[in-house]
Amino acid sequence: MRAASNVPPVTRRAQARLGILLALPVAIVTAVFFVFPMLNALYYAVVDFDGLDPTPPFVGLDNFTEMFTDSATWHALGNNAIWIVIGTSAPMIIGLLTAVLIWSGRRGGPLYRLLFFLPFMLPGVAIGIVWGWMYDPVNGWVNRALGAVGLGGLSRGWLGDPDTAIFAVLATAIWATCGFVTMIILSALRNVDAELVDAARIDGANAAQRLWHILLPQIMPVFLMVLTLTLVGGFSVFDIIFIMTGGGPADATEVLGTYAYSSAFELNRISYGTVLALLITILAVPFTIMLNRLQRRLSLQGLGA
Amino acid sequence: MIGQPEDPADLELIKTDLKTFESKNQGITVKLDVIPSENVRTVLQTQLRSGEGPDVFGYDTGPGFAGALAKAGLVYDLTKAYDERKWPIYDFAKKRVTFDGKIVGVPSQIEEVGIFYNKTLFAKHGIAAPQNLAELTAAAEKLKQNNVIPIAVSDKEGWQGGHLLSMSLSSAVGSKGMDDLLNGRTSWNTQPVVDSLAIWKEWADKGLLTPSPTAVSYDNANALFYSGKAAMAPTGSWLALDIERNAKFEVGFVPFPAKDGPGIFSGGLGSGTFVSASTTKADASIKLLDYLLTPEHGRWAAEKLQDIPAYPIDTAGMTASPLFKQVLDDSAKIADGTGDFGYNIDVLTTDVFNNAMWKGIQGILSDQAQPAQVAAQLQSAYEKSAK
Repeated sequence: MRAASNVPPVTRRAQARLGILLALPVAIVTAVFFVFPMLNALYYAVVDFDGLDPTPPFVGLDNFTEMFTDSATWHALGNNAIWIVIGTSAPMIIGLLTAVLIWSGRRGGPLYRLLFFLPFMLPGVAIGIVWGWMYDPVNGWVNRALGAVGLGGLSRGWLGDPDTAIFAVLATAIWATCGFVTMIILSALRNVDAELVDAARIDGANAAQRLWHILLPQIMPVFLMVLTLTLVGGFSVFDIIFIMTGGGPADATEVLGTYAYSSAFELNRISYGTVLALLITILAVPFTIMLNRLQRRLSLQGLGA
Repeated sequence: MIGQPEDPADLELIKTDLKTFESKNQGITVKLDVIPSENVRTVLQTQLRSGEGPDVFGYDTGPGFAGALAKAGLVYDLTKAYDERKWPIYDFAKKRVTFDGKIVGVPSQIEEVGIFYNKTLFAKHGIAAPQNLAELTAAAEKLKQNNVIPIAVSDKEGWQGGHLLSMSLSSAVGSKGMDDLLNGRTSWNTQPVVDSLAIWKEWADKGLLTPSPTAVSYDNANALFYSGKAAMAPTGSWLALDIERNAKFEVGFVPFPAKDGPGIFSGGLGSGTFVSASTTKADASIKLLDYLLTPEHGRWAAEKLQDIPAYPIDTAGMTASPLFKQVLDDSAKIADGTGDFGYNIDVLTTDVFNNAMWKGIQGILSDQAQPAQVAAQLQSAYEKSAK
């Protein structure tokens, strides 16, 4: 037996119509930008599309089988792992420490904020090109600077040496990302309860203890949000590698993003490129969900500035 | 639609040329779409498939490029236009745009790949133009001793590796040997291929190339040559105009030497002009091709853009530097078949093969691969492409 409602049917219908109307834009956006592309990608994943043939043959799971047995995929995945570990931890640590330093400093806050955030405002392509010049083995100033301080023996073609190329590109990415992390954490630090920090100081807590036990718990949701963004960026990294090395030399800096691109657009294997792109999504989603859930739980527990 | 020319001045010349065409063909307006060269393939394929592509476009002539479009039925069959208008394209060039018996484009840009060298720098160090491989190596070693980068090799982008192999291999096996390799009559996994790859490794190991070539871009390597920091630039004749504009010294152009002689240039075609199969303006498009194939236009393109057309042009009285005159004379020999020329590999092979070649040579130059290993990979890629 249904519970009787006091709301007249006319009003209920009006409310339902309003609800649909309000949800419609989001539904349309989701359908256009998520559902349709995802269905499209799933279709291309099970055919062998070369970018030209309008009726590509159905190949079932062949593209997936090939991907898992392709040594180039695993090599690219390995580079992604390096990127995720170093490219996430370095900016998070540097950004956190820089933010705390700026926050606790008495002077020059706006200037430091500007200086640190500036790299993040530059287009990735411009950053890649300029750092590419800096790493140039003949005229680049990185080698010149090493020579000037008596470390000329370390000079090398940073982007052409398979042992250093991925780390040289990573250094550029870290430089570009630190400002973003600094700014977001700095905003969170502004809402930190200063009395707790002062109390800890009076109780004899040193700087590291205050950071770990007082500051970090208060900014944890924001910290996790930045961590999620940076981490997911590690799975989908493409532009800076594409600009600086193109995935070379000889695949030394290939990541899933560049491998998907070269498969799809240089070798005309759109379907295989699609499968690789799906792998990036599949790998990134669990991390994103896990960190979002953690962030939400902390917020519900009343933690966070 | 065309890819962005390297020099903005060339784009202005092309725009002016199209205005001339419009003024000679009242009622036809040409809208020029210029996109970054590296995006041409992606953009063009997508546009052509959707039926929204350009009516006329510039594209590479090789089987992996125009051949793939022809196979998918995306380019207009120009066989009838060739018959009716008697376009005077050289036969060898026509073959490069003929797929399944259909002529689908107008080839242009006859090119040769060899070594540009700084004559002034060579003279300063008492070095003569090398007549064989040993002389070239000796010249490079002497230049290195004098703190000059001997050979400005770049391979950051990867495609340059194809030219490096084209040069050394063409001179090692000759035109017939190249023909046999490209047509599958000889395996790529053979000693001449290994040796031709090994030359570059040996020179890289000896420090006769740009330091860390896989970290050096094509433009940066050329800048080293223009500035006199490097003495030689192994590349194609398309760079002759830029060299004239940028180098303040006398430049010579020689083939990559063979072990026992001066060697041969690697010759070939660059790009071509094509018409979309879905064009609704076929007549106007063919009129544009007609215009591009007039002797006056051919001469204009050669003189202003140093773009050597694939049909005979009258070069008498043409303003040309000695360097470009040499390229023109060589090109005429490629065209009439009187000269012995090797091949520029990457315009005649598939994407799969080119990918293996480019990455393989990057691997050799960055110490990740051995020549024998790369030769085996080339054969494997060739077999895969042939399937």
